[in-house]
Amino acid sequence: MKAPFSAYLSGIKPGLRQLIRLLRPDYDYVSVLATDSKGLSVRISRHARTVGSETMTTERGVVVRLCKEGQYSEYALSSFDPARPEAAAAEIREALEAQRALLAETGVQPYPTPLLPDEPVTLFVEKETEQLPEETDAKPLVEKLSALIDRMGEQSEELVECMASAQSTHISKLFLTENRDMSQSYVYSEGFAVAVAVREGRNQVGFESLSSLGGPELFDQLPAAGDKAVKTALELLDAGRIEPGEYEIIASPEVTGLIAHEAFGHGVEMDMFVKNRALGKEYIDKRVGSDLVTMHEGALCAENVTSYAFDDEGTLAGDVIEIDKGILKTGICDALSALRLGVAPTGNGKRENFAHKAYTRMTNTLFDSGTDSLEDMIASIEDGFLLEGMESGMEDPKHWGIQCIVKLGREIKQGKLTGRIVAPIIMTGYVPDLLGNISMLSPHREVFGSGGCGKGYKEWVKVSDGGPYLKTKARLG
Amino acid sequence: MLENIVALLKESGVHAWEINDVKTRGWEFYFIRHALDQHRAKELEHIQIRVFQLVEDGAFLGSASAELPPTASEAEAKKLIDDLAYRATLVKNKPYTLNPPRPGQPMEAPVDLSAIAGDFLRAVRSLPETVGEDVNSYEIFVNDKLRRFLNSEGVDITERYPDSMIEVVVNARRDGHEIELYRNFQSGTCDGEDLKEKLAKAMAYGRDRLRTRPTPKLEKADVLFSGADACEIYSFFVERCNAGMIVRRMSDWTPGKPISEELRGDKVSVFARRELPNSSKNRGYDSEGAPIRDAVILREGVPQEILGDRMFSSYMGLENSFMPSNIEVTGGSCSEEELRKAPYLEAVEFSDFQVDSLTGDIFGEIRLAYWHDGETVTPVSGGSLSGSMFDFMKDMRMSKAQTQYDEMRIPSLTLLKGVTVTGAES
Repeated sequence: MKAPFSAYLSGIKPGLRQLIRLLRPDYDYVSVLATDSKGLSVRISRHARTVGSETMTTERGVVVRLCKEGQYSEYALSSFDPARPEAAAAEIREALEAQRALLAETGVQPYPTPLLPDEPVTLFVEKETEQLPEETDAKPLVEKLSALIDRMGEQSEELVECMASAQSTHISKLFLTENRDMSQSYVYSEGFAVAVAVREGRNQVGFESLSSLGGPELFDQLPAAGDKAVKTALELLDAGRIEPGEYEIIASPEVTGLIAHEAFGHGVEMDMFVKNRALGKEYIDKRVGSDLVTMHEGALCAENVTSYAFDDEGTLAGDVIEIDKGILKTGICDALSALRLGVAPTGNGKRENFAHKAYTRMTNTLFDSGTDSLEDMIASIEDGFLLEGMESGMEDPKHWGIQCIVKLGREIKQGKLTGRIVAPIIMTGYVPDLLGNISMLSPHREVFGSGGCGKGYKEWVKVSDGGPYLKTKARLG
Repeated sequence: MLENIVALLKESGVHAWEINDVKTRGWEFYFIRHALDQHRAKELEHIQIRVFQLVEDGAFLGSASAELPPTASEAEAKKLIDDLAYRATLVKNKPYTLNPPRPGQPMEAPVDLSAIAGDFLRAVRSLPETVGEDVNSYEIFVNDKLRRFLNSEGVDITERYPDSMIEVVVNARRDGHEIELYRNFQSGTCDGEDLKEKLAKAMAYGRDRLRTRPTPKLEKADVLFSGADACEIYSFFVERCNAGMIVRRMSDWTPGKPISEELRGDKVSVFARRELPNSSKNRGYDSEGAPIRDAVILREGVPQEILGDRMFSSYMGLENSFMPSNIEVTGGSCSEEELRKAPYLEAVEFSDFQVDSLTGDIFGEIRLAYWHDGETVTPVSGGSLSGSMFDFMKDMRMSKAQTQYDEMRIPSLTLLKGVTVTGAES
């Protein structure tokens, strides 16, 4: 079935059109993004069980973008009354004029920026889903997750807590200008299973996740994730500590995705180019990785949690080849940064929600796959680790440092897995070294979208990333 | 609108309910260098409703929650409440009661958005920038929040408070090489002098970062934390004393029993504080309507009063509990001179320093540290720190002097002994 576009947004559309007409005489550019996204969230653990309708991206509201005398401004409101657009227009003018008075008093000058183009675009997209979160009966889902938790907990007395979570969100967004009329509706879902095991007062955590573009039908796969989380938590009870040093490593697809995200995801967000905050700006058409490295980024290059038809600034979704056979080709760009840099926007202008500013943000960030089997990769390593499980990462686009926290490493000696596990692992290094040392890639590729991504320490948005197994060298601690 | 929602909840016959209504007026300013990228204003209302139902003749309590948009019609509101009433019957938690009305002092702080925003603007624009160190970009967020909380037990609280944040990126450069440092400060209003002092310190770190050498392969070293990253270390102690962690058996810390029998260093004391100067978390009541008060969470390494949310606190029989917002940490016995005994590594900038309160693991890639070998002080970068708080807490040392970072007032200096340092030397 098609995910139906929000009836609420369709209902307020005439009022929003009138709001644009009312503001347009006073401003050189006016756009409106209106959102109405509904969700379903079930979280079951041994000790606490909840059902809700909120997820990270559920929202309803309106943000108006304006430009006057080269200065861009925005006004976000949660209570737009379509019968009284003139009241909203007055509210917007009053608030922004009060800000302009303060800016004039403090001597602030605008950052010179051309006017956003407004060529006509009409688009109406409703993507496929099997179920809608707002219409799903939560009862079978609660029962399924409860049974899963019970089964997980029965596998060992060392398991003190097990948790399963299922979330599904039906996104509806409407983008309007004088000349654009864009509507989209799609559903994405994500789930995870967590097992906490304890021995001698110290906890270990197993975590597995799932994500997809589609509805709650995804959650049929949660039991397998639960079993894997339990296995990992129990394995980690016997984990040792790693001897710090540089090693040959094989990154599992999840860790590969984390490297993609932190290395040349954040590193080529071009709003950072405008601020001169990213080294990537100076490396366009230069080598940043081995010949095996090709990396894609865009809402169109995978079907997962952020595979939209247009971004939060009304730019059509894209598929950008950021790195082609080791050569950095381009970055990703929101609409205002594109104007400032004199390039085309790539469909990567995203907001945490309607109340937040749009920044250049990632969508799907993926390494291309290769031809080497995992077995051949393991056989090629004298002393190294197979890294599994993503915990967190942090970018450093200015200096190309990278920090990845990885759940565990499986020791490889003389071409064989020894069965020894070390955990946790902090992988650090210099991005061109890490990518430059990539020497093998497996044929199959996986995509992971259960997490969120911040810009610095705020502005959380959904992203996905992934790739194949890859072999390189890294510093592990 | 809230009165209509309350009427609908009463009509629905649900067992119990909570409403959390937060109205936000916000002003935001975004700068590239000192030129204005854009300015934003917002007028928002978020109404969260949670419904509780008794299940299986009162053997269990279920709950379901949702946000009701302020634009919702009465029919939408009724449908949402009916859905919640059904969904709440699907989950089975051990029964507990919601917070009853209890005496407290709601926060009522007047908020002048223009005045606070003006203070931030003037503070950043008056920084002593030079050819070598300057401001790359900054973002200012000032909010006026009005919160009303109601529940079916009769709690009805209204609080108003400011909530501000500034993010600043500082550059330093020398001989064609440029570095940046990132800062994110949260506060109630703007303390311009404090902000300028912190940013001047960041610029000084920037100068040092330009002359770093790769972090040596130290294997194990004593590491001194002298900045906001130490808040992560103390959050470990706070979270392990949380009722939720204890009920879920993810923490075995128990009131009256030392957190370790091998505490040889300074013993940590942790206090919940209702108010700290200019904290963005100053509140009279927590998000479930429990009054916030001063309390002793940990005294000299021994858990005292366990705090947490209503559900887990009730499971532990803690009727006077609440979710703490501000935290003060004491227990340091050392002067700065005593803590700065070489050799030690003073870590001041990380990519992202983390302490996992569940596993006790600490991580952080070093962006700037100072290696004090007894003869020289060398700025270093690269490599990482790792280890376990369960080991470090036995011998940790702290300064008597304290520093406040928004909602946490902690020892100014914290020394962890025997930290694994993965060097960056080739």
